[in-house]
Amino acid sequence: MMTLGHYLTVATALFTIGAVGVLVRRNAIVMFMCIELMLNAVNLAFVALSKTVGNLDGQIVVFFVMVVAAAEAAVGLAIIISVFRARRSVDTSRTRELRL
Amino acid sequence: MELLILGIKVFIVFNIIMGLASFCTWFERKGSALIQDRIGANRAGAFLQTDILLLKPVFFAFRFLGVLGVINTLFCDAVKGMLKEDFVPKGTSQFMHSLAPFLAVLPIFVAFALIPFAPDFVVGGYNIRMQVATLDVGVLFILAMGSLAVYGVALAGWTGNNKYSLLGALRAAAQMISYELAMGITFVCVILMYGTLDLYEMVTAQQGGSLGVDRWGIFRQPISFIVLFIVGMAETKRGPFDLPESESELVAGYFTEYSGMKFLTFWLGEFAEIALFALLLTLLFFGGWDIPFVSLEPGSWLTALIGHAVLMGKVIFFCMLQIVIRWTLPRFRYDQLMALGWKLCLPISMANLLWCAAMRLV
Amino acid sequence: MDPSIILSAIVLLSAVAVVALRNPIHSALNLVVAMLGLAGIYAMLGAHFLAAVQVILYAGAVVVLILFVLMLLNLKVEQASPRDLVIQGLAVVSGVSFLAVAIPSVAQRFGSFPSARDVFVAARGPEVEGTVKNIGALLYDEYLLPFEVASVLIMAALVGAVLLGKRRRDTAK
Repeated sequence: MMTLGHYLTVATALFTIGAVGVLVRRNAIVMFMCIELMLNAVNLAFVALSKTVGNLDGQIVVFFVMVVAAAEAAVGLAIIISVFRARRSVDTSRTRELRL
Repeated sequence: MELLILGIKVFIVFNIIMGLASFCTWFERKGSALIQDRIGANRAGAFLQTDILLLKPVFFAFRFLGVLGVINTLFCDAVKGMLKEDFVPKGTSQFMHSLAPFLAVLPIFVAFALIPFAPDFVVGGYNIRMQVATLDVGVLFILAMGSLAVYGVALAGWTGNNKYSLLGALRAAAQMISYELAMGITFVCVILMYGTLDLYEMVTAQQGGSLGVDRWGIFRQPISFIVLFIVGMAETKRGPFDLPESESELVAGYFTEYSGMKFLTFWLGEFAEIALFALLLTLLFFGGWDIPFVSLEPGSWLTALIGHAVLMGKVIFFCMLQIVIRWTLPRFRYDQLMALGWKLCLPISMANLLWCAAMRLV
Repeated sequence: MDPSIILSAIVLLSAVAVVALRNPIHSALNLVVAMLGLAGIYAMLGAHFLAAVQVILYAGAVVVLILFVLMLLNLKVEQASPRDLVIQGLAVVSGVSFLAVAIPSVAQRFGSFPSARDVFVAARGPEVEGTVKNIGALLYDEYLLPFEVASVLIMAALVGAVLLGKRRRDTAK
């Protein structure tokens, strides 16, 4: 029998893996994929809690989170392509113009 | 017991898929030959002789099938494919090269789980529905599997490690995801018409009717049928939309680096997809297993058998129609193809959606 | 064994693979596996519509877009330098220590369904299933304004992505 704690544990672990991925990787597109992992972890938490509480508000929130994530994916990847055209690399450690 | 019924259903559906795909392969070879004013394959198995009197009818049947090209397509091609050298291009991962055919074929086969193949019948106290999985989200699942089919194509072109494969794969993937939009909106129109997402209930809603066929989907929403037909041919990369695998321009498009059994797997997946779209068109627009003016006794296995035969007849008609269209029309240029998807099919399907929604309110 | 455990294990393993693998295309394929695993978990939790939308939207569109960009940019596998190793080591250590603290407390606090239900406000009615009909009724009745705002957002993202992706022919480099 799966309890709420189980699903929230998976969501926490998934979120942490995504956060560590954003810190560890330098490739902009892989960082983007780790951000998607974090969003999915939040979705999982919402769905599990919606099942606990018993109504569908959590699932509606997940629907909107998915919509926002898709919009963000489109615009974010367009930005990455523009950066790539300017400097032929998506390595984020090489983009240091704004650093001190 | 439920598990046993499920296992038998899966086995039957799998055989139906392989049978339809084999039929499409054979008709592609023989039908294209007849359209192109040649005879096609008719040599393999056409010269079998025997002196044993009891076996003479059997050998006659084999000679008949051989002249029709059936043995050539189903047996010789399969053996050739299995015995050919299987190579992996240098410089790519062998795992991904071998994974791509599976990814191309798996979503199509899984989508067949949602398709009902016969009306309900009762056997020994169990009410059996010839649908492997009765999901709440029927048609949406088929749309989801169509979205997943892009991965096999993209990965196949990428692991080819040459520019022809990559170009073909990117073109194919862009084409598939562009036409998915119009497909989704057309499905919404169909769902509006029937009020349910489950394919079995959609077929049941088309039965009856005072003129025999006036509740069929094609007469209630003809524009949806036309748009879905065009979009279906574009999704399967068939017909005039087959630039990604254009045999005369890109060598073989994203298939280039595949030979032997992996190539046959792609081929099988493509024909299974043709069968899937033919089934979808039949179930959504042509009444499925409905025979006009005839109402059979519900629940008996004979009704189920007759219904299944009628369904297969209609599906075979649509498969043959798609194959004949492929060999008749010249192919679109790539920018014409994308313009058709974004500037023609999408606005028409949106206008159709508005019209159908208005018709529901009236 | 409960299918949810197997699906959760698949999701977590492929998430680790997304982070750890060097080749970005392998990461993208593992992301697809994670999305499909999550769709399975949603279906087991009764959110059928969300499972279908997860496959159509995330696995079928967002990751395809990512894969497209990866194939078009044709990137090389990234090289590691000593300074990066320090940062990566610190990130992994902090992640693991956070998990070591968070997971036991979460698992113990929300361990069983009834006590979790006491924590939250009482449900608004009998338990509703996440079928398409119920979600549609809610979406078009109570959440109509967010729905319309979301469609405007999607259109803005569409215009923005097309504009950012176009090559500017007037400013020649």
